[in-house]
Amino acid sequence: MKKYIIALFAILSLTASCNVKEFLTEDPVMSQSTELTLSDYNGLNKAIAGAYSPLAGSGWYGAFFVLDAEMRAGNAMIPINTNFQSGRMQTPYTMNYNPDATSGLWGTAYYVISACNNVINAIDTNAEGLVTSSHPASDLNNLKAEALALRAFAHFDLLRLYCHLDGSNGDFGVCVITEPQLPTDMPARATVEESYAQIIKDLTDAESLMADSYQRGSVADPKATFNKLAIQALLARVYCYHKDWGKASEYASKVINSGKFKLWTAEEYPSVWGKEIAGDGGEVIFEVYGKQTNSYDAWWEGPSHMTNPLGYADCAASAQLTELFEDGDVRGTTGVRGDASDPRDDGKVMFCTDQDEVSGGQLWTMKYYGKGDGNATSTPDFNNTIVLRLSEMYLIRAEAGVNGAGSTALADLNAIRANRGASALSSAGKADVALERRLELNFEGHLWFDLNRTGGSISYSDANITRNIPAGDKLWALPIPKAQVDINENLVQNPGY
Amino acid sequence: MKKVSLVLTILLMAFSLYAQNIAVRGTVTDASTGEPVAFASVTVKGQMSGTSTGLDGTYALNVPSNAILVVSFVGYKTQEIAVNGRNVVDCVLAPDAEILDDVIVVGYGTTRREAKTGAVSTVKADEIQAVPASSVDKMLAGKMAGVTISSESGQPGSNSQIRIRGTSSINAGNEPLWVVDGIPVMSGDQSYFTNTNNAIAAINPNDIESLTVLKDAAAASIYGSRAANGVILVTTKSGKAGKASFSARAKYGVSMMANDNHFRMMTGPELYDFYKTAYANAGRDINNYYDPNTPNLPMTNWIEEVTRLGRLQEYEVNAQAGNDRGRFYTSFSYQDNQGVSYATSYNRLTGRVNSDYKLTRTLEVGTRVNIAYTENHDTEMQSLYYSNPFFGGLIIRPWTPVFDPETGEYNQKIPENSNTNPLWNALCHGEDQWEKQFRTQAGMYLQWEPIQGLVFKTNNMFEGTFGKGIRYWGPDPGDTEGVLQGSRSQYVQITTSNTATYSRMFGDHSLRVMLGQEAMKRTYESLYGYAPSVDANIPYFSTSIDSESSISDSYNARTLLSFFGNVDYNYANRYFVAASIREDGSSLFGSQNKWGTFWSASASWNITSEEWMQNTSDWLSLLKLRASYGVNGNNNISPYSAYGVYASTAYNGGNGMRPSSPANDLLSWELNKTWNVGLDFAFFNNRLSGQLDVYTRNTTDMLLNKQVPQTSGFSSNFMNIGSMNNKGIEFQLEGDLIRTNDLVWTAGFNIAYNKSTVLDLGDDEWMSSSYDSRLRHAVGKNFYMFYLKDYYGVDPTNGDALFRAADPEHPDDENYWVLTNNYSQARYIYAGSPEPKFTGGFNTSLNWKGLELSVFTEFKTHNYVYIYEWRYLNADGNQMTMNQMASALNYWKQPGDTGCNPKPVAGNASSGMMNSTRWLKRGDYFRIKDVTLAYNFPQSLLKKINMKGAKLYVSALNPYTFHDVYWWDPERGMEGMGWGIYPQTKTIAGGIEITF
Repeated sequence: MKKYIIALFAILSLTASCNVKEFLTEDPVMSQSTELTLSDYNGLNKAIAGAYSPLAGSGWYGAFFVLDAEMRAGNAMIPINTNFQSGRMQTPYTMNYNPDATSGLWGTAYYVISACNNVINAIDTNAEGLVTSSHPASDLNNLKAEALALRAFAHFDLLRLYCHLDGSNGDFGVCVITEPQLPTDMPARATVEESYAQIIKDLTDAESLMADSYQRGSVADPKATFNKLAIQALLARVYCYHKDWGKASEYASKVINSGKFKLWTAEEYPSVWGKEIAGDGGEVIFEVYGKQTNSYDAWWEGPSHMTNPLGYADCAASAQLTELFEDGDVRGTTGVRGDASDPRDDGKVMFCTDQDEVSGGQLWTMKYYGKGDGNATSTPDFNNTIVLRLSEMYLIRAEAGVNGAGSTALADLNAIRANRGASALSSAGKADVALERRLELNFEGHLWFDLNRTGGSISYSDANITRNIPAGDKLWALPIPKAQVDINENLVQNPGY
Repeated sequence: MKKVSLVLTILLMAFSLYAQNIAVRGTVTDASTGEPVAFASVTVKGQMSGTSTGLDGTYALNVPSNAILVVSFVGYKTQEIAVNGRNVVDCVLAPDAEILDDVIVVGYGTTRREAKTGAVSTVKADEIQAVPASSVDKMLAGKMAGVTISSESGQPGSNSQIRIRGTSSINAGNEPLWVVDGIPVMSGDQSYFTNTNNAIAAINPNDIESLTVLKDAAAASIYGSRAANGVILVTTKSGKAGKASFSARAKYGVSMMANDNHFRMMTGPELYDFYKTAYANAGRDINNYYDPNTPNLPMTNWIEEVTRLGRLQEYEVNAQAGNDRGRFYTSFSYQDNQGVSYATSYNRLTGRVNSDYKLTRTLEVGTRVNIAYTENHDTEMQSLYYSNPFFGGLIIRPWTPVFDPETGEYNQKIPENSNTNPLWNALCHGEDQWEKQFRTQAGMYLQWEPIQGLVFKTNNMFEGTFGKGIRYWGPDPGDTEGVLQGSRSQYVQITTSNTATYSRMFGDHSLRVMLGQEAMKRTYESLYGYAPSVDANIPYFSTSIDSESSISDSYNARTLLSFFGNVDYNYANRYFVAASIREDGSSLFGSQNKWGTFWSASASWNITSEEWMQNTSDWLSLLKLRASYGVNGNNNISPYSAYGVYASTAYNGGNGMRPSSPANDLLSWELNKTWNVGLDFAFFNNRLSGQLDVYTRNTTDMLLNKQVPQTSGFSSNFMNIGSMNNKGIEFQLEGDLIRTNDLVWTAGFNIAYNKSTVLDLGDDEWMSSSYDSRLRHAVGKNFYMFYLKDYYGVDPTNGDALFRAADPEHPDDENYWVLTNNYSQARYIYAGSPEPKFTGGFNTSLNWKGLELSVFTEFKTHNYVYIYEWRYLNADGNQMTMNQMASALNYWKQPGDTGCNPKPVAGNASSGMMNSTRWLKRGDYFRIKDVTLAYNFPQSLLKKINMKGAKLYVSALNPYTFHDVYWWDPERGMEGMGWGIYPQTKTIAGGIEITF
């Protein structure tokens, strides 16, 4: 008996000691660990597909990155009629920015950057291990190029929003993050120049890594992902911001001459907005896919509900903008917005009042006429947000031209104007380009950043508000959220806040 | 691990001693009764050999002719007898009054009460048997100092919240560890759809022999990893040698809503008058809204309609027997508990077999098997659902009839309750919500004592809960399809616990060494189905429409591996020291920090054992000083918190993956570090005894979400930061006030004070409680604080509700404020804590010639409760379709009125009824918890009819509660909130118990 007992105890002890580490490891099975996700092509591919999703969040291209910029720049206003005030967008309207009330893009953009860095790092550290017969090295290069482009895109929006682009006010750029971070890492801000350098490096690397024909598959909207032309279009914009006029002109031309895009005609123009998918053959180079089924921002209602006089109605068009258009310019046409059965709503205007006239003649942009179930007041089901389109490429080339790079400035501006029903210009100067940008790109989130990069100023007053933001004012760079500055001892707040 | 097995092996080989000499036999008898003492231990002094007596008290042994026999048995004074060459050595053992009943169960063993060095409380079987409660946790309230039992629900079979010495953790759990027969078991709420379902309720309270609560680090730390919130040790009954018996019990009782503060809603005429005033105050005429005949309509007391007399019945048989080789205890019980609201019930069947058998002189095996089947039905509560009888039943106006007077059918036109008739819902709608579970605890131990004092034990248990749940909403009138949700869930826990213990006395030195190892794996799996349209006649998934139905499942697993040891030493029963250490590895933590070391050291000094104390022994029976310090852990977090995880995200017409939580490789144990100093004392030959304990308990490395730089990709990371403290004093006193042959009167009292303080929350000054954002954890304040707008009272000039707002001149000073009738300007304040300052109880029992009366009471003080329902039931005219509570009639009527409700204004938009301190009340109570009157028939009578025992009793649970909250009952759980809850009830039961 005793022998058996000794054997029993021995077996018990041995069994328990056989593999302590294995016994104490329980991997999650209902969700996917980071390591597993990043361990093969399919996982990396899905990680990039998912990394785009925060772009549609309401703080970014899902509404406020774009509309707040319009509000700050004076293209937009909070409607006068008090019945329409929901309390949203007060800060960009009154410009009461402070570290407790500022854009939350900081978190969203770095979230996307970290998702990109996970993929880039996985590919860089295990380039050969990831290659399989069905996924050769070129597939991984394409993936990495997408990740690089998206990382540059996120850094660039951060730079535009939180930094003085001319390097004034202390020359604070963004935190350039190119490696996976630990929660204990406390990165400091780069200079503006260093920030640009990293963005341009990522984009040019992406351009050279990506195959010309590469296009992400299994998506509803191919234009909501980066292909080579979208990378080049973004490069054109970044070079333009960076005043690298020769490169700006070169890259704008690459896109214009690709033959893949064509300027919308005046006839088409009012009906190209508020779509689910832009589709081929028009101007759209890169856009953000806005739809209720996106899961990143469960409360997504898109820019549509904010600019709908019968929706949330937070963001109307200002008279400063709507009075700029000459007669016949399709971009300034006005009408009535109604539901599908309302004969006054022919879907052929760019600014509208609401059918019941409850907002007292107030005009609203029709660029985000998102589609619900046909009811003007309903929550929109979808609404794309166009980010890069062909007109901007013409405008970039024109701007490069008036700054001494190339000679097509007047022709470029008139190419657009001819397709808008506007009269042809006889000469092109810097002011002409700036005005044309405002006329063409209003409510697409450009004017504020154009003023920031060109050292512009804002000064106007109307019945509701007086706004005076001189060049170099602290407000050109929004404050970084207070909690971030509190947590990260190396992160310097923008001067003045 | 290797070290442990090496030690085991050496210990195993070291002992193989045999003695060979003369044969001795004899009988061991009890000095007071002359009856034989079975199972007494007979050993040779200084040697390892020995035996134990048989049922007839006899033994036989080969010993050296000059040996000294040591005869001992629990409850008797140990005797030493020299053999002196005799072949027959009889022994008469004298009962030891002092140590009788004084063996207490502690971690991985037992100890004598006088040897304990830590803070421990015990409850014996006879204190809990008669109480008509469904689970043992309900019976502990007020019985032990520092152990607070609370519940959010009075529903049969409901879960309890148990706090031992306060609340210590934000994210890692606050419930104590339950250990049943030596194995840590699953506890808590295991329901899927039902409001509540208590895992511990699967144990038939009558099967429990004793229950010990380990409160301080010294007592609990041998359970290191999970001992931070204390440990409750349950020992179930095993058979007693020589006393075969068979018992049957029956219990029957009724239960009703407790309402000792006379809470009620308005009658029809009262409500009509109230509405009339409210309309008048709004400049409107009630005749435009109500027929003037309304107060004369037939009235319905809705809360009476939707509740009923609950019913409890319980039947049980058990049997036990034993001889010198084996013992068993077995029981079978059935409980049927119908709640006070319709469609609320709890049914339980339990069967238990506990057996112990000596295979050889040194080898013993035993099993502990408990199987329970429970069925729990209820309706949706715990929120302000219209179908909830404890909300709908309050707000429906008295003139709304239950039955449509024209058709005689259930009235469905109840606009004030969203046309929901709670009674129809409960009885006719087919609305059904239930959980049916099998719960199994099956364990076996093998114990080997190769030489006296050295015991190897392996204890292995399987525990499983297999549940099935349904939530069904029948079709609304006119529809034909219902909504069906269903669940299958399974919890499985497997534990092996292996120990080696050696205990020995060397003269005045006494030593006990224990080494052990334990491993546990627990998995949870569930399957959930949803079908929004099933045929009401066949409400099963079979009739669902495929395209609409969905199914999902979940799975998680956790493991724990532990090595532990402890040493007890005492010198001459005067100086005691003990130390324990435990290494725990948990799968829940980060790969770099899975292991935690927990330890404790303690000492006590039995002052009364000192020679120089001899002259006080006539009045001072015991004076003992104890001190301990130890570190325990807490790992009660959700599995996989340490893993970086990607989650699926839908975008652009497909599914991508994006990071959903960061990796936390350093995630590790939350720690509790406890100091305890205690004093045990007894006077007058132990007639008056008690203990006093002072403790301070620091929680460090708290598991919290810490904000991290967003440049890392995440805003926060689950980390070990933060700290808090609980400190307190506990006092317990017990007295034998009268002890004569015919009359015994005992009384006890306990009181505990606890104060919690949050010390550090990482970078945050406060965080919202995950329970409800009206509760906060804030640095420098109590663990839970209500954070509410500051209500001032009624404006005596015009009857408006007034709030305090921050004084613009002293915006940060709480002592300055200005009054405002604008709710949005009202300031927020930390308004009080739901944690009681003092808890305790008083108990007494009187025994006169077999008639026994016992009373237990319980109290809590200084705790606040937030009665959210009042926002609707005392709404100042904001709710002009709901019935209002009678106290709402005390409103402002004329200038100068104060201390009343604001004046009612129909459609009141002044927000006086919004969340504020207006609805916060002191929840102090003094509860007569249970009163039992029992009669034990005299042995002289029973012997004639061949019975061993017969007992008749009546018992009342919660017969009366003194409190000051205008509600049925003031108890609202540890968080002092909850809404739409099933209130505590009163139960009166009678029973009979007979034993053959």
